[in-house]
Amino acid sequence: MILEALLAALAFTASQDAAPAPEAPAPAAGDCSSDPAALAAQARSLLEDAGAAPDAATLRRARDLLRRARKGSSDAALMLSSADVAFAAGDEEEGADLLAAAAERDAARLSPPELLLLARRAQARRRWREAIARYQDLGRALEAGGGAADWIPGRVRELELEARADAIAPPSAGPPAEARLALADGKRALAAGRLQEARESLRAALDASPDYTEALLALGAVETRSHRPAAAIRAYRGALAAEPDRVEALTALANLLWEEPDRRTKEESLRLLDRAAALRPDLRPLLRLSANRWAEFGDAPKALERLDRFLEQASPPERAEAQALRDALSRRVRGATEEPTPAPASPEETASAAVDLWKKAQVYLQRGGDGADEEALRLLAESERLDPRFAGAPELAASIALRREQWREAEAALRRAVRLDPSRVANHEQLARLLDRFPERSAEALEAWRGAEAAGSTEALIRLARAAERAGSPREALRLYRRYGNEAPAGPGADEAAASAARLEAGERKTVLAVASVFAPLAAAALWLVWRRRAGVSFAEWLARDPGKARDARPVVGRLRHEVLKHGGMLLSDAAARLQDGDAETRRATAQLLSARLYGDSGARGLLDEADSAVAQLRALARESGVRLNLRHRDPVFSWLLRGLAVLRGARRGLRRVAERPTRTWDAALARRLLRRAAACFAVSSGPELARTIERAAVLPVRADALRALLAGVAEEHGAPAPELELVGDLAEGGLPAVRISALDWQTVWRNLFANALEEAQRRGAASVRLGLCAQTRRDPVTGEARLRLVLADDLEGGIDAARLRERGAERGLGVVVELLRRSEGSVAVVPAPAAGFTKGIALDLPAAEEPA
Amino acid sequence: MTARSRSVLIVEDGTEYRDAFRRLSPEGADGSVEWLHAPNAAAALRLLDRHRVDAVFLDVVFDRTPPEDLIGPAEHRASLAERQGFYVAAAIARVLPSGVPVLLAYDFTDDPGRLAALRRSIPALEGVEEGESASRLVERLLGKA
Repeated sequence: MILEALLAALAFTASQDAAPAPEAPAPAAGDCSSDPAALAAQARSLLEDAGAAPDAATLRRARDLLRRARKGSSDAALMLSSADVAFAAGDEEEGADLLAAAAERDAARLSPPELLLLARRAQARRRWREAIARYQDLGRALEAGGGAADWIPGRVRELELEARADAIAPPSAGPPAEARLALADGKRALAAGRLQEARESLRAALDASPDYTEALLALGAVETRSHRPAAAIRAYRGALAAEPDRVEALTALANLLWEEPDRRTKEESLRLLDRAAALRPDLRPLLRLSANRWAEFGDAPKALERLDRFLEQASPPERAEAQALRDALSRRVRGATEEPTPAPASPEETASAAVDLWKKAQVYLQRGGDGADEEALRLLAESERLDPRFAGAPELAASIALRREQWREAEAALRRAVRLDPSRVANHEQLARLLDRFPERSAEALEAWRGAEAAGSTEALIRLARAAERAGSPREALRLYRRYGNEAPAGPGADEAAASAARLEAGERKTVLAVASVFAPLAAAALWLVWRRRAGVSFAEWLARDPGKARDARPVVGRLRHEVLKHGGMLLSDAAARLQDGDAETRRATAQLLSARLYGDSGARGLLDEADSAVAQLRALARESGVRLNLRHRDPVFSWLLRGLAVLRGARRGLRRVAERPTRTWDAALARRLLRRAAACFAVSSGPELARTIERAAVLPVRADALRALLAGVAEEHGAPAPELELVGDLAEGGLPAVRISALDWQTVWRNLFANALEEAQRRGAASVRLGLCAQTRRDPVTGEARLRLVLADDLEGGIDAARLRERGAERGLGVVVELLRRSEGSVAVVPAPAAGFTKGIALDLPAAEEPA
Repeated sequence: MTARSRSVLIVEDGTEYRDAFRRLSPEGADGSVEWLHAPNAAAALRLLDRHRVDAVFLDVVFDRTPPEDLIGPAEHRASLAERQGFYVAAAIARVLPSGVPVLLAYDFTDDPGRLAALRRSIPALEGVEEGESASRLVERLLGKA
């Protein structure tokens, strides 16, 4: 059976092949002729010789001969013969291929089963066009043979759907993380104006994800700002290839192309601009721009048509502004139409069943017609069910719902799409625009725009900037407008962003100036207050720097202690108690007493004035030392004293009210609280501590070794040998109390005394002078003060005596000594020799530091 | 009216202590104490010559007293007002019966040696600490504290 069929086929082939090559000699078996007919005849002969069931070797030989024959001929009959032999050899793949080749040349020579076989095979292999052709061939063959072919058209329609779906590019997957990071770096650099760095980062993003729209848009911005239009155009074209409906890319590219000189490029620019305007009818400036450019291009009808569309929703000022152009265009109008630019399709394929369904839905939508939307939505729902992570399905469903103004469904689908692919800017923007339709959902819309901004939407920058401006955040608005200017310098909102930024910057400058004019004095005052608080020294620090002032400060501090701490302290607690417990008359009397004592009465100064005067005097003394006293903020003792005084000042009005209306107990209560607070401040402010501070600064330790060193120095100055300074009596080294005198005065006194002794010795021609020092502590019998009596003894006869000392013999510096000691409440006297071997003594009497208890 | 049973001499250059003692202490308010007041040493001596006093209160600083009314050594003229209370104390000690308490408005907290030295001539001398209230001082003067 097989053999018969094969022979018949080969005979048929040979007869067909004989015609084109009649002169070809008949090849013998095993001949290596390349003549197709001869080779086919040789194959037939082989098979005839092999009988009913040719062995494998014969079949192989016959197939080889036929293969060689096909090199010289592509005749359909030869293909069919070869197919039969291939099927006989069990090679169904080659058999079907040969059948397909025969069908391509003359499908009418194939039987319906053969055609069905080929159609199914093509269908299984997703070769939709081939499958359609074979089914159509099969239909014709069946009709010719009287078979049932009514099922064929339905099958063909299915296959056409598949074919068109295949032509649709699958949605791109989200960019990888490294691309997003690189994009973020690039945008940061772009915003900072570091264009080269931005370019490198964006190229890195594109290396990781070549069709990353956001990176391409940002790169376009970088190149535009770098004045490299060709590179910018390339970037925007790339963005449009990846996302054909991206308005930013359309407008940016349109603007760049418009600047090119040749007319074809301008024409492309206009098409892009129109497409952007069609995609985003809400961006009315695009229509206005399109009208201008078409007019400039010389196509008045198109310009007029766009201008009229713009004017449909224009404001009165916009109408007025456009009127002149419209008049001019009306005069030139001829009428025109435009062809939409088809979007390029990506050849990329995907094997995903969900994506296949999505593609079919696309076909339905492109095809349109009744039920197309429903069928597309059904397919998309199935697609979502098959692959819940596939963002393309809800995105497309959303676009259908939007077109049909089914807002709820559109929102739900967009939210699903955003959740599945947060990097897809278009979905964020669609969702935000959808929510913008409903004023009561403005907060949600704003949130959606924020999401779009995070995904890289430049339109979101403008929207958020406007919202920030409306919300009274001009700084935030300015930042966003500037970002837009940086990231989309040729974008549809570039003009608005630039104008708004300029306006806000001007406003900001005004605000800064206004704020500065208000706050500069406040800041200066604050600085001054800080300086007042921080600068300066405490009382103790001042005296430590300038101990000589302790002598002047002592009576002032004494008066302050006497007035404030003693008198004030004495009055306050008792007065507070009487204001609390006394009757109205007691309160009145107490308030009067306090007012008179604290604030003065009948020309007498009050305690507060006395205190202020004392503090002012201390500050003046400090200024003489070049020091600013900061008693209020830096002094641990005075700060409390001054605080107490301030509290007392605050109590003045209350005390006056109590004196006037003693029955009003709340006035008395307030005054009482203030008095107790002041008393507490004075209790903290320690008078003895102030006295100790002065004492520490005022006293000077008496050291015999220091006096000997001074004596040696004075002797050297006089060219005399330095005499010994003997300690007389029970005086021991280091056993002397400190005296109240400044170091300088102390040194001057002793220099004079030593010099006097040395000079007297030189005047008398003495080789040397013997000097001794003795000391005695005592108490003043009246005041009880501690005093130190120091006696400098010498062995010189005559010389100074008490009479001369009283005269203050200036020639020997004794007048200076007397004066310096007097200033320190001390005295000097000539006394008898304190010990044997001396002739007299000069006694210095000085206040001494109090010995510890 | 309560009979006055006590007499206190106050020596000060103003009237602050007297007014405070009189108005702010219970004893002052009830009129049971006679408050003698002397603005300087001479006046104090005159009062002591005429009155028996139960206690003496001496201020220290007499800066409102005319210089000619101040007592003390001439070489310490500049500081006489500042420590006049000490000189007044020394002056009245000579005429004051022993045992009469004398409160000197000076804080001896840091000068215990000075107080001890002064008590050699005025055994009943005591100092006043800063912040002591008027009523407390009156109590001390009247021997209640």
